[in-house]
Amino acid sequence: MQCGTMVAELLQFIIAGLKSGAVYALVALGFTIVFGATGAINFAQGEFYMLGGMTGVLLTTWGVPLPLAVVGAVMLTAVIGAAFELVAVRPIASGDPLRIIMVTIGGSVVLRQAALHLFGPDERALRPFTAGPSLRLLGAAVERQTLWVWAITAMAVVVLAVVYRQTMFGKAMRATSIRRDAARLVGIDASAMVTASFGLAAALGALGGLVVAPLTQTAFYVGSGMGVKGFAAAILGGLGNPVAAVGGGLILGLLESLTAGYLDPLYKDAVALVVLLGVLFLRPQGLLGGRGTEKV
Amino acid sequence: MERLSVSLVFVLLVAMLFGCAGGTKDAADEGPKPVKIGAVLSLTGTYAGLGEAEKRALELEVDRINASGGIAGAPIELIIEDDGTDEAKAVAAAAKLIEQDGVVALIGASGTGQTMAMRGDVKRAGVPQISLAGGTVVTGEFDPLVFQTPWSNRIVVPFVLEAINRAGHTKVALLSDSGGYGKDGRAVIMENVASAGIELVADETFNPGDTDLTAQLTRIKASGAQAVLLWTAGKEAAVAVKSARELGLDQPFFGGSGQARVEFIEGAGEAAEGFIFGTGKSLVPANWGEGSVQFETVSDFATRFETAYGEQPDIFAGHAFDALTILADALDRVGPDASPQELRDAIEATNGVVGFGGTFTFSKTDHNGLTTDDLALYTVESGKWVPVK
Repeated sequence: MQCGTMVAELLQFIIAGLKSGAVYALVALGFTIVFGATGAINFAQGEFYMLGGMTGVLLTTWGVPLPLAVVGAVMLTAVIGAAFELVAVRPIASGDPLRIIMVTIGGSVVLRQAALHLFGPDERALRPFTAGPSLRLLGAAVERQTLWVWAITAMAVVVLAVVYRQTMFGKAMRATSIRRDAARLVGIDASAMVTASFGLAAALGALGGLVVAPLTQTAFYVGSGMGVKGFAAAILGGLGNPVAAVGGGLILGLLESLTAGYLDPLYKDAVALVVLLGVLFLRPQGLLGGRGTEKV
Repeated sequence: MERLSVSLVFVLLVAMLFGCAGGTKDAADEGPKPVKIGAVLSLTGTYAGLGEAEKRALELEVDRINASGGIAGAPIELIIEDDGTDEAKAVAAAAKLIEQDGVVALIGASGTGQTMAMRGDVKRAGVPQISLAGGTVVTGEFDPLVFQTPWSNRIVVPFVLEAINRAGHTKVALLSDSGGYGKDGRAVIMENVASAGIELVADETFNPGDTDLTAQLTRIKASGAQAVLLWTAGKEAAVAVKSARELGLDQPFFGGSGQARVEFIEGAGEAAEGFIFGTGKSLVPANWGEGSVQFETVSDFATRFETAYGEQPDIFAGHAFDALTILADALDRVGPDASPQELRDAIEATNGVVGFGGTFTFSKTDHNGLTTDDLALYTVESGKWVPVK
């Protein structure tokens, strides 16, 4: 094969990897935020990804213009996420991380079945954010929607960083995740922060589900698979660190895409898991995690 | 305390006595004993879309048969169990239907994996099973008790391969999923390519749930294939045709029954235009020619389904309709009191029963009963499938 086409192929695989990786990153951010606030893994995170896409599709079928439908679906899912914390996680788990994990596992089943009854069993399509043919980059194709995936992920990360660094709310969130008791002593409502973290995580998951729906369609059952990927990305990067979660997502996406491209597509999920295990053995704090003292 | 338990036992005894008496009285009033038929469907989980349609078709037909006198006066009692698209649950559901409900025949499951998982219980009880799953193994791994109604890959694959060859393509790339439908189809395709005069220049697979097929399509593009054969029933089909166009892979795409779904055309949008797939003639009933028995049967079912549920039946509803039609036909011949063994023999003797899938004629070696005569070729034009002329 010619050198030019080989470069174009490699570039194509990298573009595909960064596209999937950006979506993993959004879901992983949700895991990280809830972990920061509660010390627990929210196994319903994948369902928020599903709910984002499905409510977005529903809103567009009701005639809501696409940009409004996207914003509406993110907000609706955020409300569902916060409500889930208020009515299920808080009363049942009362702050115990192990119990929170169990409640979220149960909650994910409930959300999935509710979605099945609400939206029906078939897959649904969302139209691309901007129509038109794909763009060319050194012989490789970049779909317009892929640019949206990157842009929205980048925007979410920047907004999140500003909120965490600059706002009172963000500082309160960080204080809670660093030391819950101390945060409470200085007058931060720690349980409100937990509710907010679920809402925020749900919004990020929903964003991922919405931006990828025009590419892959969405259905009531897509949440659990994406939950696993997002979880793997969060662990790979290092739980509790938003920057690391994004890095973990992108690395996972690239690994999968290169495995599919140069080894065998059927092994890509396995290779990602093997690398994940390797990382856990050698660097339990994650590839990009710090020493494990500061969570955010 | 002792007196209390004595009176409790007394009350229980009386209750049992009345209960029993009540039971016999009811049975005497009801007339003929109902014919119990069990159905194992995927009402939840990944195949919920199939199971829901199948449930509707079965309930519609049972109501119709019972309203017109049932089986020689005996009503059909349909008991539906959900397997959650899970093999273990399918086994539990089959065992429950056989042992607790005492059904004489089983319809289902919706999926190939669930159908195969039930086989142990089916054999132990000697109850006939009519599967709604399209996997070749269902009747390929032959069992005297097991029948199936969808067009199996065994007939659809050679039909589509012939169409590819007729269109002048001899170098073909295969893209299939590693799940049940794709894996099953791939095996049959491998067996049949040589005799169809086709050379496979690429053989790519993907996992159900994959959201990106760039790697596979890039390799197909480099393989010099003249056409792509896509074998999957999942939503990845839409991803495949869309990314192919984005990557500049402009070769024609062919597929099977997996693409006979509105969701595929909706999801793929313009990229679906020109896609050619082979599946049953009944997808467009006019294929049969107006006035023919097949046309009347399919349109009658479609009309009644639409009246009851407000939407057109899909092919899965059609396969369920066929299972019940075949079963009712066999029951009509042997009567409502037939044993499972007699019923099995009667089903095997099914000869020329017209259903949705085509004309069913079973034999001692063929428990699918359909032929390529029941198939047609379709292409996607302006967002709709139309028969290829």
